[in-house]
Amino acid sequence: MTEETVSLLKSKFPDSLLNIVVKDKCITFSVKKEESYPILCELKDSGFDHLSDVTAVDYIDEQEFELVYHLWSHQTKVRAIMKVRIPRQSSAVSSVMALWSGAQIHEREIHELFGINFEGNPNLAELFLEDWEEIPPFRKDFDTRKYVKEQYYLEDEQYPIVKG
Amino acid sequence: MKKLTPKFIKSKNEARAWSLWVINYFTACGFMELLPWVGSGYDMERFGILATPTPRHADVFIIAGYVTRKAAKRIKMIYDQMPSPKYVLALGSCPMTGGMYWDSYATIKRIDEVIPVDLWVQGCPPKPENIGHAIVMAANAIKGGLEGH
Repeated sequence: MTEETVSLLKSKFPDSLLNIVVKDKCITFSVKKEESYPILCELKDSGFDHLSDVTAVDYIDEQEFELVYHLWSHQTKVRAIMKVRIPRQSSAVSSVMALWSGAQIHEREIHELFGINFEGNPNLAELFLEDWEEIPPFRKDFDTRKYVKEQYYLEDEQYPIVKG
Repeated sequence: MKKLTPKFIKSKNEARAWSLWVINYFTACGFMELLPWVGSGYDMERFGILATPTPRHADVFIIAGYVTRKAAKRIKMIYDQMPSPKYVLALGSCPMTGGMYWDSYATIKRIDEVIPVDLWVQGCPPKPENIGHAIVMAANAIKGGLEGH
């Protein structure tokens, strides 16, 4: 089944699939940002009816975020992992809620922790954090330890600080 | 008002010490070691301790596990609903110092910045024996006249 999906995608999007790895009924590939939504539509139509997860990775050296969509087909028991790079500065991408409504909570979480904007998602309010005023905490340029020392520990080191 | 006699105060403290009703706030592993006390293994009811479903009936507030900034507000809300006198027990390293989350952006490091704490139980997580020791210590302190908040 994996070969059929790969050949279908290759025939429809000949130029946009990169780094295809097929292993143990799992297809992993990267796509360009412009092609990501049509490819996700195609995957949905070809039986990937379950969106397991959406995650993001911050590649700060390349000034890019990578969104990773984990898809699963109940019929064929095939997994598909689609990676798409988006620029770090204008990090907006269209929501996939129209395809899998379960994407709402994943996108809300990514918006909170990475600051990626999902156009079309109606509720991107804070999920875990509250009254957060810094840059999103999962970005690589957010210095967790510096923030913690400023926020929670006193200047005169009244609290025991573990040096590290 | 008639002044309370020392005998009455003593019996009042005694009664209070051995009928502590607790409200638990637990987020993580800290509470797992309290569970043997809830069950029949260690059986906290023989010390007169009952778990209540509402803070409005509770005397003791047990905080187990790490406390996030979001949770700290809820802890304050629960604490404010408890009638006086009230006592607070903090279980484990996390409410004391942040524990293994000492460098997390989301957890507060000392719970006594939010509410006053009467008894700290150390451990990561504390053993059930430590918790039992703390419960008896608390009861003895209340019997001895610890007024709470």
